[in-house]
Amino acid sequence: MTTVALKKHFDGTKAVDSVSLSIFGRTIVSLIGPNGAGKTTLFNVVTGFLPPDIGRVFFEGRDVTHMAAFRRARLGMGRTFQEMRLIRRLSALENVWLALPNQRGETVIGALLGLHEREEKRRRAEAMRWLEYVGIAETANQLAGELSYGQQKLLTVGCCLGMGAKLLLLDEPVAGVNPALVDRTLELLERLRHEEGKTIVLIEHNMDAVMRISDRVVAMDEGRIIADGTPEEVRESAAVIEAYLS
Amino acid sequence: MTYLCHILIILNIYASLGIALNLLVGYTGLLSLSQAVFLGVGAYSTALMTHSSIPCSWPLSILVGIGISSIMALIIGAISLRFRDDLFAIATFSFQVIIYNLMQNLTGITEGPLGISGIPSPRIGCVVLTSYWAFLVLSLVFAIVSIYIARRAVLAPYGRLLRAIREDEISVTAMAKNTATLRVSTFVFASMISSIAGSLYASYLTYIDPSIFTVQESIFILAIVIIGGPGRLWGPVLGAALLVSLPEGLRLLGLPSSVAANTRQILYGAALVGCMIWRPQGLVGKYSLRSDERG
Repeated sequence: MTTVALKKHFDGTKAVDSVSLSIFGRTIVSLIGPNGAGKTTLFNVVTGFLPPDIGRVFFEGRDVTHMAAFRRARLGMGRTFQEMRLIRRLSALENVWLALPNQRGETVIGALLGLHEREEKRRRAEAMRWLEYVGIAETANQLAGELSYGQQKLLTVGCCLGMGAKLLLLDEPVAGVNPALVDRTLELLERLRHEEGKTIVLIEHNMDAVMRISDRVVAMDEGRIIADGTPEEVRESAAVIEAYLS
Repeated sequence: MTYLCHILIILNIYASLGIALNLLVGYTGLLSLSQAVFLGVGAYSTALMTHSSIPCSWPLSILVGIGISSIMALIIGAISLRFRDDLFAIATFSFQVIIYNLMQNLTGITEGPLGISGIPSPRIGCVVLTSYWAFLVLSLVFAIVSIYIARRAVLAPYGRLLRAIREDEISVTAMAKNTATLRVSTFVFASMISSIAGSLYASYLTYIDPSIFTVQESIFILAIVIIGGPGRLWGPVLGAALLVSLPEGLRLLGLPSSVAANTRQILYGAALVGCMIWRPQGLVGKYSLRSDERG
Protein backbone atom coordinates (compact mmCIF):
# COMPACT_ATOMS: atom_id res chain seq x y z
CA MET A 1 0.00 0.00 0.00
CA THR A 2 2.68 2.48 0.80
CA THR A 3 5.89 2.79 -1.01
CA VAL A 4 8.64 4.96 0.20
CA ALA A 5 11.45 5.24 -2.28
CA LEU A 6 14.94 6.60 -2.10
CA LYS A 7 14.99 9.46 0.32
CA LYS A 8 18.08 11.26 1.35
CA HIS A 9 17.93 13.86 4.01
CA PHE A 10 20.56 16.14 5.39
CA ASP A 11 20.11 17.56 8.79
CA GLY A 12 23.68 18.66 9.16
CA THR A 13 24.52 15.02 8.99
CA LYS A 14 22.95 12.37 6.83
CA ALA A 15 19.94 11.65 8.96
CA VAL A 16 18.29 9.52 6.35
CA ASP A 17 20.70 8.25 3.75
CA SER A 18 19.22 6.74 0.63
CA VAL A 19 16.40 4.86 2.20
CA SER A 20 14.21 2.92 -0.13
CA LEU A 21 11.42 1.13 1.58
CA SER A 22 8.24 -0.41 0.35
CA ILE A 23 5.49 -1.37 2.67
CA PHE A 24 2.40 -3.20 1.57
CA GLY A 25 -0.94 -3.43 3.29
CA ARG A 26 -2.25 -5.34 6.27
CA THR A 27 1.03 -5.86 7.98
CA ILE A 28 2.93 -4.84 11.05
CA VAL A 29 6.46 -3.66 10.35
CA SER A 30 8.84 -2.72 13.09
CA LEU A 31 11.56 -0.19 12.51
CA ILE A 32 14.44 -0.72 14.86
CA GLY A 33 17.88 0.66 15.34
CA PRO A 34 20.04 2.50 17.84
CA ASN A 35 19.26 6.09 18.78
CA GLY A 36 20.11 8.52 16.06
CA ALA A 37 19.65 5.92 13.34
CA GLY A 38 17.19 8.14 11.53
CA LYS A 39 13.99 6.31 12.32
CA THR A 40 11.99 9.27 13.57
CA THR A 41 13.45 11.46 10.83
CA LEU A 42 12.20 8.90 8.34
CA PHE A 43 8.73 9.14 9.86
CA ASN A 44 8.86 12.92 9.72
CA VAL A 45 9.77 12.94 6.04
CA VAL A 46 7.16 10.35 5.13
CA THR A 47 4.39 12.20 6.94
CA GLY A 48 5.40 15.59 5.59
CA PHE A 49 6.71 17.25 8.72
CA LEU A 50 10.16 17.47 7.19
CA PRO A 51 10.96 17.94 3.51
CA PRO A 52 13.38 15.49 1.93
CA ASP A 53 16.43 16.69 0.13
CA ILE A 54 16.29 14.06 -2.54
CA GLY A 55 13.86 11.30 -3.24
CA ARG A 56 10.18 10.66 -3.26
CA VAL A 57 7.45 9.40 -1.05
CA PHE A 58 4.53 7.50 -2.47
CA PHE A 59 1.33 6.60 -0.74
CA GLU A 60 -1.16 4.28 -2.40
CA GLY A 61 0.45 4.96 -5.70
CA ARG A 62 0.38 8.75 -5.38
CA ASP A 63 3.45 10.88 -5.21
CA VAL A 64 3.03 12.78 -1.99
CA THR A 65 6.57 14.08 -1.77
CA HIS A 66 5.51 17.71 -1.87
CA MET A 67 2.12 17.36 -0.30
CA ALA A 68 1.38 19.24 2.91
CA ALA A 69 1.40 17.17 6.08
CA PHE A 70 -2.26 17.64 6.84
CA ARG A 71 -3.19 16.52 3.34
CA ARG A 72 -1.19 13.34 3.70
CA ALA A 73 -2.99 12.75 6.97
CA ARG A 74 -6.26 13.19 5.12
CA LEU A 75 -5.22 10.54 2.63
CA GLY A 76 -4.88 8.12 5.49
CA MET A 77 -1.42 8.54 6.96
CA GLY A 78 -1.75 8.59 10.70
CA ARG A 79 1.13 9.04 13.08
CA THR A 80 2.07 9.40 16.68
CA PHE A 81 5.04 11.28 18.01
CA GLN A 82 8.01 10.22 20.06
CA GLU A 83 7.40 13.11 22.42
CA MET A 84 3.73 12.27 22.97
CA ARG A 85 1.65 14.99 21.39
CA LEU A 86 -1.83 15.35 22.79
CA ILE A 87 -4.15 18.21 23.60
CA ARG A 88 -3.86 17.95 27.35
CA ARG A 89 -6.45 20.59 28.11
CA LEU A 90 -9.15 18.72 26.27
CA SER A 91 -10.73 15.52 27.50
CA ALA A 92 -9.81 12.17 26.01
CA LEU A 93 -13.13 12.10 24.21
CA GLU A 94 -12.59 15.58 22.83
CA ASN A 95 -9.18 14.60 21.55
CA VAL A 96 -10.61 11.78 19.48
CA TRP A 97 -13.58 13.92 18.49
CA LEU A 98 -11.15 16.52 17.23
CA ALA A 99 -9.62 13.97 14.90
CA LEU A 100 -12.88 12.97 13.26
CA PRO A 101 -12.82 14.08 9.65
CA ASN A 102 -15.27 16.21 7.70
CA GLN A 103 -17.00 17.81 10.63
CA ARG A 104 -19.34 20.56 9.72
CA GLY A 105 -18.71 23.00 12.52
CA GLU A 106 -15.00 23.39 11.91
CA THR A 107 -15.09 26.58 9.89
CA VAL A 108 -16.14 30.00 11.12
CA ILE A 109 -19.24 30.00 8.99
CA GLY A 110 -20.13 26.43 9.84
CA ALA A 111 -19.77 27.21 13.52
CA LEU A 112 -21.92 30.33 13.35
CA LEU A 113 -24.62 28.61 11.38
CA GLY A 114 -24.63 25.75 13.81
CA LEU A 115 -24.18 23.16 11.10
CA HIS A 116 -22.59 20.79 13.54
CA GLU A 117 -25.52 20.59 15.86
CA ARG A 118 -27.38 17.99 13.91
CA GLU A 119 -24.51 15.56 13.83
CA GLU A 120 -23.29 16.12 17.35
CA LYS A 121 -24.78 12.97 18.86
CA ARG A 122 -23.48 10.84 16.05
CA ARG A 123 -20.01 12.30 16.31
CA ARG A 124 -19.87 11.86 20.04
CA ALA A 125 -20.85 8.20 19.64
CA GLU A 126 -18.25 7.77 16.94
CA ALA A 127 -15.52 9.20 19.14
CA MET A 128 -16.64 7.00 22.04
CA ARG A 129 -16.46 3.95 19.82
CA TRP A 130 -12.80 4.57 19.12
CA LEU A 131 -12.09 5.13 22.78
CA GLU A 132 -13.75 1.79 23.49
CA TYR A 133 -11.85 0.10 20.70
CA VAL A 134 -8.50 1.12 22.11
CA GLY A 135 -9.69 0.28 25.58
CA ILE A 136 -9.77 3.57 27.43
CA ALA A 137 -13.47 4.31 27.39
CA GLU A 138 -13.49 4.94 31.12
CA THR A 139 -11.25 7.98 30.68
CA ALA A 140 -13.56 9.69 28.21
CA ASN A 141 -14.27 12.74 30.32
CA GLN A 142 -10.92 13.07 31.96
CA LEU A 143 -8.50 15.67 30.70
CA ALA A 144 -5.95 14.05 28.45
CA GLY A 145 -3.21 15.50 30.59
CA GLU A 146 -4.47 13.49 33.56
CA LEU A 147 -4.33 10.08 31.95
CA SER A 148 -1.57 7.65 32.76
CA TYR A 149 1.31 7.48 30.32
CA GLY A 150 0.14 4.20 28.84
CA GLN A 151 -3.41 5.48 28.51
CA GLN A 152 -2.14 8.57 26.75
CA LYS A 153 -0.30 6.40 24.26
CA LEU A 154 -3.47 4.44 23.62
CA LEU A 155 -5.28 7.74 23.18
CA THR A 156 -2.86 8.86 20.49
CA VAL A 157 -3.58 5.65 18.64
CA GLY A 158 -7.28 6.29 19.16
CA CYS A 159 -6.91 9.71 17.55
CA CYS A 160 -5.25 8.15 14.51
CA LEU A 161 -8.12 5.74 14.21
CA GLY A 162 -10.68 8.48 14.68
CA MET A 163 -9.04 10.32 11.83
CA GLY A 164 -9.50 7.31 9.62
CA ALA A 165 -5.88 6.39 9.19
CA LYS A 166 -5.13 3.40 6.98
CA LEU A 167 -1.44 3.54 7.65
CA LEU A 168 -0.35 4.06 11.21
CA LEU A 169 3.16 5.24 11.87
CA LEU A 170 3.63 4.79 15.59
CA ASP A 171 6.70 6.20 17.23
CA GLU A 172 7.51 4.08 20.28
CA PRO A 173 3.96 3.03 21.18
CA VAL A 174 4.97 0.98 24.20
CA ALA A 175 8.12 2.65 25.44
CA GLY A 176 7.85 3.57 29.10
CA VAL A 177 4.46 1.96 29.45
CA ASN A 178 3.71 -0.39 32.33
CA PRO A 179 3.78 -4.09 31.33
CA ALA A 180 0.04 -4.69 31.62
CA LEU A 181 -0.73 -1.90 29.22
CA VAL A 182 2.07 -3.03 26.93
CA ASP A 183 0.24 -6.31 26.40
CA ARG A 184 -3.02 -4.49 25.78
CA THR A 185 -1.42 -2.15 23.30
CA LEU A 186 0.23 -4.98 21.39
CA GLU A 187 -3.06 -6.87 21.26
CA LEU A 188 -4.68 -3.73 19.96
CA LEU A 189 -2.12 -3.45 17.16
CA GLU A 190 -2.62 -7.05 16.16
CA ARG A 191 -6.37 -6.56 16.15
CA LEU A 192 -5.98 -3.49 14.00
CA ARG A 193 -4.04 -5.50 11.50
CA HIS A 194 -6.36 -8.49 11.44
CA GLU A 195 -9.77 -6.93 11.90
CA GLU A 196 -9.42 -3.48 10.46
CA GLY A 197 -6.85 -4.25 7.81
CA LYS A 198 -4.57 -1.47 8.93
CA THR A 199 -0.95 -1.18 8.00
CA ILE A 200 1.23 -0.43 10.97
CA VAL A 201 4.81 0.67 11.07
CA LEU A 202 6.23 1.08 14.50
CA ILE A 203 9.47 2.38 15.86
CA GLU A 204 10.33 0.44 18.96
CA HIS A 205 13.21 -0.35 21.23
CA ASN A 206 11.32 -3.00 23.16
CA MET A 207 12.70 -6.11 21.45
CA ASP A 208 10.20 -8.49 23.03
CA ALA A 209 7.35 -6.46 21.63
CA VAL A 210 9.02 -6.28 18.25
CA MET A 211 9.62 -9.98 18.09
CA ARG A 212 6.13 -10.75 19.26
CA ILE A 213 3.97 -8.88 16.81
CA SER A 214 6.01 -7.97 13.76
CA ASP A 215 5.52 -9.57 10.39
CA ARG A 216 8.65 -7.87 9.23
CA VAL A 217 11.50 -5.97 10.81
CA VAL A 218 13.56 -3.24 9.22
CA ALA A 219 16.74 -2.22 10.97
CA MET A 220 18.42 1.12 10.49
CA ASP A 221 21.75 2.51 11.53
CA GLU A 222 23.27 5.87 10.72
CA GLY A 223 20.55 6.71 8.23
CA ARG A 224 20.73 3.48 6.25
CA ILE A 225 18.75 0.29 6.22
CA ILE A 226 21.02 -2.49 7.37
CA ALA A 227 18.60 -5.35 7.56
CA ASP A 228 15.12 -6.15 6.34
CA GLY A 229 13.33 -9.42 6.87
CA THR A 230 11.43 -11.57 9.31
CA PRO A 231 12.03 -10.91 13.00
CA GLU A 232 14.20 -14.04 13.31
CA GLU A 233 16.32 -13.16 10.31
CA VAL A 234 17.00 -9.67 11.52
CA ARG A 235 17.75 -10.82 15.03
CA GLU A 236 20.47 -13.10 13.74
CA SER A 237 21.85 -10.52 11.36
CA ALA A 238 25.47 -9.65 12.06
CA ALA A 239 25.03 -6.10 10.91
CA VAL A 240 22.25 -5.50 13.40
CA ILE A 241 24.14 -6.99 16.29
CA GLU A 242 27.12 -4.87 15.46
CA ALA A 243 25.05 -1.72 15.18
CA TYR A 244 23.62 -2.18 18.62
CA LEU A 245 26.90 -3.06 20.20
CA SER A 246 29.01 -0.33 18.67
CA MET B 1 -25.92 61.24 33.12
CA THR B 2 -24.70 61.79 29.60
CA TYR B 3 -21.19 61.33 30.92
CA LEU B 4 -22.13 57.89 32.20
CA CYS B 5 -23.74 57.11 28.87
CA HIS B 6 -20.57 58.15 27.14
CA ILE B 7 -18.47 55.85 29.28
CA LEU B 8 -20.83 52.96 28.70
CA ILE B 9 -20.87 53.49 24.96
CA ILE B 10 -17.10 53.53 24.80
CA LEU B 11 -17.06 50.50 27.05
CA ASN B 12 -19.38 48.56 24.78
CA ILE B 13 -17.35 49.38 21.71
CA TYR B 14 -14.08 48.38 23.31
CA ALA B 15 -15.62 45.28 24.82
CA SER B 16 -16.56 44.18 21.30
CA LEU B 17 -13.05 44.89 20.08
CA GLY B 18 -11.71 42.88 22.96
CA ILE B 19 -14.06 40.00 22.23
CA ALA B 20 -12.84 39.92 18.66
CA LEU B 21 -9.20 39.96 19.66
CA ASN B 22 -9.84 37.37 22.35
CA LEU B 23 -10.65 34.88 19.62
CA LEU B 24 -7.16 35.38 18.31
CA VAL B 25 -5.21 35.84 21.51
CA GLY B 26 -7.16 33.90 24.06
CA TYR B 27 -8.49 31.02 22.04
CA THR B 28 -5.96 30.54 19.27
CA GLY B 29 -2.93 31.86 21.13
CA LEU B 30 -2.03 34.40 18.46
CA LEU B 31 -0.74 37.66 19.89
CA SER B 32 -1.93 40.16 17.32
CA LEU B 33 -0.92 43.80 17.58
CA SER B 34 -2.75 45.03 14.52
CA GLN B 35 -6.37 45.16 15.62
CA ALA B 36 -6.43 48.94 15.49
CA VAL B 37 -5.89 48.69 11.74
CA PHE B 38 -9.31 47.18 11.31
CA LEU B 39 -10.87 49.49 13.86
CA GLY B 40 -9.51 52.36 11.82
CA VAL B 41 -10.58 50.92 8.48
CA GLY B 42 -14.13 50.56 9.70
CA ALA B 43 -14.09 54.04 11.18
CA TYR B 44 -12.69 55.71 8.09
CA SER B 45 -14.95 53.78 5.74
CA THR B 46 -18.00 55.00 7.54
CA ALA B 47 -16.60 58.49 7.96
CA LEU B 48 -15.62 58.93 4.35
CA MET B 49 -18.67 57.34 2.86
CA THR B 50 -21.30 59.04 4.96
CA HIS B 51 -19.55 62.38 4.88
CA SER B 52 -18.79 62.51 1.19
CA SER B 53 -20.46 64.67 -1.41
CA ILE B 54 -22.45 61.65 -2.48
CA PRO B 55 -23.59 60.41 0.89
CA CYS B 56 -23.95 56.69 1.16
CA SER B 57 -26.16 54.79 3.53
CA TRP B 58 -24.72 54.02 6.90
CA PRO B 59 -25.26 50.27 6.72
CA LEU B 60 -23.54 50.24 3.35
CA SER B 61 -20.55 52.03 4.77
CA ILE B 62 -20.28 49.35 7.42
CA LEU B 63 -20.35 46.64 4.80
CA VAL B 64 -17.66 48.38 2.80
CA GLY B 65 -15.62 48.69 5.96
CA ILE B 66 -15.98 44.97 6.59
CA GLY B 67 -15.02 44.23 3.01
CA ILE B 68 -11.87 46.29 3.08
CA SER B 69 -10.94 44.99 6.52
CA SER B 70 -11.34 41.41 5.41
CA ILE B 71 -9.08 41.89 2.44
CA MET B 72 -6.47 43.61 4.53
CA ALA B 73 -6.77 40.93 7.18
CA LEU B 74 -6.23 38.28 4.53
CA ILE B 75 -3.04 39.95 3.41
CA ILE B 76 -1.72 40.82 6.84
CA GLY B 77 -2.77 37.47 8.21
CA ALA B 78 -1.38 35.38 5.39
CA ILE B 79 2.00 37.02 5.77
CA SER B 80 2.17 37.29 9.55
CA LEU B 81 0.89 33.78 10.19
CA ARG B 82 3.94 32.31 8.55
CA PHE B 83 5.71 33.23 11.73
CA ARG B 84 5.41 31.79 15.18
CA ASP B 85 4.68 33.44 18.48
CA ASP B 86 6.91 36.46 19.03
CA LEU B 87 7.72 36.93 15.37
CA PHE B 88 4.03 36.91 14.58
CA ALA B 89 3.47 39.66 17.12
CA ILE B 90 6.27 41.70 15.59
CA ALA B 91 4.89 41.15 12.10
CA THR B 92 1.43 42.39 13.07
CA PHE B 93 3.05 45.25 14.93
CA SER B 94 4.91 46.22 11.79
CA PHE B 95 1.79 46.21 9.70
CA GLN B 96 0.09 48.36 12.29
CA VAL B 97 2.84 50.95 12.06
CA ILE B 98 2.87 50.87 8.27
CA ILE B 99 -0.88 51.37 8.01
CA TYR B 100 -0.79 54.17 10.54
CA ASN B 101 1.79 56.03 8.52
CA LEU B 102 -0.18 55.47 5.35
CA MET B 103 -3.29 56.90 6.95
CA GLN B 104 -1.36 59.81 8.32
CA ASN B 105 0.20 60.66 5.00
CA LEU B 106 -2.39 59.81 2.37
CA THR B 107 -3.92 63.17 2.97
CA GLY B 108 -5.73 63.06 -0.34
CA ILE B 109 -7.94 60.28 0.92
CA THR B 110 -7.92 60.55 4.65
CA GLU B 111 -7.23 64.25 5.24
CA GLY B 112 -4.26 63.07 7.27
CA PRO B 113 -3.78 64.54 10.72
CA LEU B 114 -6.64 66.93 10.18
CA GLY B 115 -9.02 64.06 10.45
CA ILE B 116 -12.58 63.99 9.32
CA SER B 117 -15.14 65.94 11.21
CA GLY B 118 -18.83 66.31 10.92
CA ILE B 119 -19.52 62.65 10.46
CA PRO B 120 -23.28 62.37 10.25
CA SER B 121 -25.33 60.33 12.63
CA PRO B 122 -26.20 56.81 11.66
CA ARG B 123 -29.28 56.50 9.57
CA ILE B 124 -30.97 53.15 9.19
CA GLY B 125 -33.82 53.60 6.80
CA CYS B 126 -35.75 56.55 8.18
CA VAL B 127 -34.42 56.26 11.70
CA VAL B 128 -31.66 58.67 12.61
CA LEU B 129 -29.77 57.97 15.79
CA THR B 130 -28.52 61.10 17.44
CA SER B 131 -29.05 60.88 21.15
CA TYR B 132 -26.76 59.31 23.68
CA TRP B 133 -29.43 56.82 24.57
CA ALA B 134 -29.70 55.70 20.98
CA PHE B 135 -25.98 55.10 20.79
CA LEU B 136 -26.02 53.36 24.11
CA VAL B 137 -28.63 50.94 22.88
CA LEU B 138 -26.87 50.49 19.58
CA SER B 139 -23.47 49.84 21.13
CA LEU B 140 -24.98 47.55 23.74
CA VAL B 141 -26.76 45.53 21.09
CA PHE B 142 -23.54 45.27 19.17
CA ALA B 143 -21.60 44.14 22.22
CA ILE B 144 -24.21 41.52 23.03
CA VAL B 145 -24.29 40.29 19.46
CA SER B 146 -20.49 40.08 19.48
CA ILE B 147 -20.54 37.95 22.60
CA TYR B 148 -23.25 35.79 21.14
CA ILE B 149 -21.35 35.21 17.93
CA ALA B 150 -18.13 34.54 19.77
CA ARG B 151 -19.90 32.09 22.02
CA ARG B 152 -21.38 30.18 19.12
CA ALA B 153 -18.01 29.99 17.46
CA VAL B 154 -16.22 28.89 20.60
CA LEU B 155 -18.69 26.17 21.55
CA ALA B 156 -18.58 24.63 18.10
CA PRO B 157 -15.92 22.20 16.84
CA TYR B 158 -14.27 25.32 15.46
CA GLY B 159 -13.65 26.60 18.98
CA ARG B 160 -12.25 23.26 20.03
CA LEU B 161 -9.90 23.36 17.08
CA LEU B 162 -8.69 26.83 18.02
CA ARG B 163 -7.92 25.75 21.55
CA ALA B 164 -6.15 22.70 20.25
CA ILE B 165 -4.07 24.80 17.87
CA ARG B 166 -3.18 27.05 20.76
CA GLU B 167 -1.81 24.14 22.68
CA ASP B 168 -0.16 22.04 19.99
CA GLU B 169 -0.45 22.95 16.37
CA ILE B 170 1.63 20.05 15.12
CA SER B 171 -0.73 17.62 16.78
CA VAL B 172 -3.66 19.21 15.04
CA THR B 173 -1.89 19.07 11.69
CA ALA B 174 -1.24 15.38 12.22
CA MET B 175 -4.99 14.98 12.69
CA ALA B 176 -5.50 16.14 9.12
CA LYS B 177 -6.69 19.68 9.87
CA ASN B 178 -5.63 22.63 7.78
CA THR B 179 -4.34 24.82 10.56
CA ALA B 180 -3.10 27.54 8.23
CA THR B 181 -6.58 28.17 6.89
CA LEU B 182 -8.06 28.09 10.35
CA ARG B 183 -5.70 30.68 11.66
CA VAL B 184 -6.18 33.01 8.75
CA SER B 185 -9.94 32.70 8.88
CA THR B 186 -9.92 33.53 12.59
CA PHE B 187 -7.80 36.55 11.84
CA VAL B 188 -10.25 37.72 9.18
CA PHE B 189 -13.23 37.01 11.42
CA ALA B 190 -11.77 39.12 14.23
CA SER B 191 -11.03 41.91 11.77
CA MET B 192 -14.64 42.03 10.64
CA ILE B 193 -15.99 42.51 14.14
CA SER B 194 -13.37 45.16 14.80
CA SER B 195 -14.33 46.96 11.63
CA ILE B 196 -17.96 47.23 12.67
CA ALA B 197 -16.85 48.53 16.05
CA GLY B 198 -14.82 51.14 14.21
CA SER B 199 -17.78 52.24 12.15
CA LEU B 200 -19.84 52.69 15.30
CA TYR B 201 -17.02 54.57 16.93
CA ALA B 202 -16.71 57.01 14.05
CA SER B 203 -20.42 57.73 13.94
CA TYR B 204 -20.51 58.27 17.65
CA LEU B 205 -17.50 60.56 17.94
CA THR B 206 -18.43 62.45 14.72
CA TYR B 207 -14.76 63.21 14.37
CA ILE B 208 -11.88 60.85 13.76
CA ASP B 209 -8.22 61.22 12.97
CA PRO B 210 -5.34 58.81 12.44
CA SER B 211 -4.86 58.43 16.18
CA ILE B 212 -7.33 55.59 15.88
CA PHE B 213 -4.72 53.70 13.95
CA THR B 214 -1.89 53.93 16.41
CA VAL B 215 0.02 51.11 17.98
CA GLN B 216 -1.10 52.38 21.37
CA GLU B 217 -4.65 51.66 20.34
CA SER B 218 -3.76 48.09 19.42
CA ILE B 219 -1.95 47.67 22.69
CA PHE B 220 -4.93 49.03 24.55
CA ILE B 221 -7.18 46.45 22.97
CA LEU B 222 -4.64 43.77 23.76
CA ALA B 223 -4.49 44.97 27.35
CA ILE B 224 -8.25 44.64 27.60
CA VAL B 225 -7.99 41.02 26.55
CA ILE B 226 -5.01 40.11 28.68
CA ILE B 227 -6.02 41.90 31.85
CA GLY B 228 -9.61 40.82 31.56
CA GLY B 229 -8.63 37.24 30.97
CA PRO B 230 -7.80 35.51 27.71
CA GLY B 231 -9.69 32.43 26.72
CA ARG B 232 -12.86 33.35 28.59
CA LEU B 233 -15.80 34.91 26.81
CA TRP B 234 -16.43 37.53 29.48
CA GLY B 235 -12.79 38.38 30.00
CA PRO B 236 -12.67 41.27 27.54
CA VAL B 237 -15.87 42.72 28.98
CA LEU B 238 -14.28 42.94 32.41
CA GLY B 239 -11.07 44.16 30.89
CA ALA B 240 -12.88 46.90 29.01
CA ALA B 241 -14.83 47.86 32.12
CA LEU B 242 -11.62 48.22 34.05
CA LEU B 243 -9.49 49.95 31.45
CA VAL B 244 -12.12 52.32 30.16
CA SER B 245 -13.23 53.49 33.56
CA LEU B 246 -9.73 53.79 34.93
CA PRO B 247 -8.71 57.03 33.19
CA GLU B 248 -12.09 58.49 33.92
CA GLY B 249 -11.44 57.73 37.53
CA LEU B 250 -8.20 59.65 37.17
CA ARG B 251 -10.07 62.61 35.88
CA LEU B 252 -12.33 62.55 38.88
CA LEU B 253 -9.25 62.70 41.06
CA GLY B 254 -8.67 66.14 39.64
CA LEU B 255 -5.63 65.55 37.52
CA PRO B 256 -5.29 68.14 34.78
CA SER B 257 -6.16 66.62 31.43
CA SER B 258 -2.67 67.01 29.98
CA VAL B 259 -1.22 64.90 32.74
CA ALA B 260 -4.13 62.52 32.75
CA ALA B 261 -3.61 61.55 29.12
CA ASN B 262 -0.03 60.49 29.65
CA THR B 263 -0.70 58.91 32.98
CA ARG B 264 -3.15 56.73 31.17
CA GLN B 265 -0.42 55.34 28.96
CA ILE B 266 1.73 54.64 31.96
CA LEU B 267 -1.13 52.95 33.72
CA TYR B 268 -1.95 50.66 30.82
CA GLY B 269 1.64 49.68 30.43
CA ALA B 270 2.06 49.11 34.16
CA ALA B 271 -1.17 47.15 34.35
CA LEU B 272 -0.06 44.94 31.49
CA VAL B 273 3.34 44.28 32.97
CA GLY B 274 1.93 43.72 36.43
CA CYS B 275 -0.60 41.34 34.98
CA MET B 276 2.09 39.31 33.30
CA ILE B 277 4.12 39.08 36.46
CA TRP B 278 1.46 38.36 39.03
CA ARG B 279 -1.58 37.11 37.23
CA PRO B 280 -0.90 36.11 33.65
CA GLN B 281 -4.28 34.59 33.21
CA GLY B 282 -5.91 37.93 33.79
CA LEU B 283 -8.92 38.53 36.00
CA VAL B 284 -11.00 35.59 34.91
CA GLY B 285 -8.96 33.99 32.20
CA LYS B 286 -8.42 30.32 31.60
CA TYR B 287 -5.29 30.72 29.62
CA SER B 288 -1.99 32.19 30.58
CA LEU B 289 0.06 33.84 27.88
CA ARG B 290 3.34 33.40 29.64
CA SER B 291 5.41 30.93 27.71
CA ASP B 292 6.54 29.11 30.81
CA GLU B 293 2.99 28.50 31.81
CA ARG B 294 1.60 27.61 28.46
CA GLY B 295 0.43 24.06 27.92
